[in-house]
Amino acid sequence: MQHLNEEQLVAFHYRDIDAPGAAAQHLAACEQCSGEYETIRRVLTLVAEAPVPERGESYGEEVWTRLRWKLDRGERRRRWQSLLAVAAMLAFAFAAGHFWRAHRDPAPEVAAAVQTAAPTDASRLLLVVVGDHLDTSGRVLLEVANAAPESQLSTSRRAENLVTANRIYRQTAARQGDEHIVQLLADLEPILLELANAGDSLEGKKLADLQKRIESKGLLFKVRVMSAPPPTTDTL
Amino acid sequence: METMEPATVSRAKAGDADAFRLLVERHSRAVFKVAYRMTRNEHDADDVVQEVFLRAYRQMERFEERANFGTWLHRIAVNCSLDLLRSRGRHDKHHVQESEEGAVTRGAESGEPRPDRLLLSAELQEHVSAALDRLSGNERTAFVLRHFEGMPVEEIGRTLGIQVNAAKHTIFRAVRKLREALEPFVRSTPCST
Repeated sequence: MQHLNEEQLVAFHYRDIDAPGAAAQHLAACEQCSGEYETIRRVLTLVAEAPVPERGESYGEEVWTRLRWKLDRGERRRRWQSLLAVAAMLAFAFAAGHFWRAHRDPAPEVAAAVQTAAPTDASRLLLVVVGDHLDTSGRVLLEVANAAPESQLSTSRRAENLVTANRIYRQTAARQGDEHIVQLLADLEPILLELANAGDSLEGKKLADLQKRIESKGLLFKVRVMSAPPPTTDTL
Repeated sequence: METMEPATVSRAKAGDADAFRLLVERHSRAVFKVAYRMTRNEHDADDVVQEVFLRAYRQMERFEERANFGTWLHRIAVNCSLDLLRSRGRHDKHHVQESEEGAVTRGAESGEPRPDRLLLSAELQEHVSAALDRLSGNERTAFVLRHFEGMPVEEIGRTLGIQVNAAKHTIFRAVRKLREALEPFVRSTPCST
């Protein structure tokens, strides 16, 4: 048998080689190949000892605390009922003669509704509207994150509307004591602000810097997690 | 505790939030470990843990009770981590390029490590971590799945959306990069097994 190359030695290590018996026989007889294999084996043994940061005994409890507001199915149903209520409220406002303000962001009205609702209803209402806000913001961030350096973005106007809404939602969430939403919106705000202020001049290094900030903070991922879309069509 | 798991899973499937809470508390640390190995970032791993349990909760009804719940969670963790790595694909490529250039420079500057330094396990761990950080997203995923999770190469191919041979080659590329970075250390230290 010819000498085993490095790829074959790695495949042998993981039992992925086509003829493991022949390879084992060759290794037993060939000092050069067995030396190579021993080096690979030692490297992989060393890697197996790579440290993973410790999470304490209470970690599971902490995870649960952050999760629980999203998990209750009944609550999710009520969230959709709340969404319908919000839609009805907005439709009523629309029909009542607010056509001239159609371009305005609904955040002030929604925030006012949240303030006047009972505490539990207010919390659910906030989750629904913030979910929508994060969904819209996520789409803007995605557009920026995927933009080529020479492309001309038209996200400024949308970001401008989102900044106002973001601020109001953050303040409302702070009053509700929902720290996770507050933190995420606080991370989102400077990015939206920069996008809003950039006008049509967002390109080159400025764009690259912004993309890096979005990526380094994992903002897109967090926004997606928190916006928590309906579950029925998810895959693993 | 292990023998109680199927009953807890059944209750969670039936919508019992307290049972799901038990599962979260029981498996969070293991899920974090998988997520960290793939993302190499503590905060990202924490976010992945959240996403894993969200997805698990939504898909509890699809979970087949004869399967192992921990294994199922691990698969979700792998997919969530992969989603995160892919969402940062462009940054990752940039990072890898920078890292590879950095690795060349560091290698030229530092030369062979001194034997007395090799005995410092903390420092060695840093080298191992740095070597893992320098792998691309796909390489790290394939390697972690094969090396730490023991996932068959066919399933790794399916997970990454690539052919079996491509999956094997990705694992090989990862091992070769790790070897390039760490061989000086294993040549100087006695075999640990």
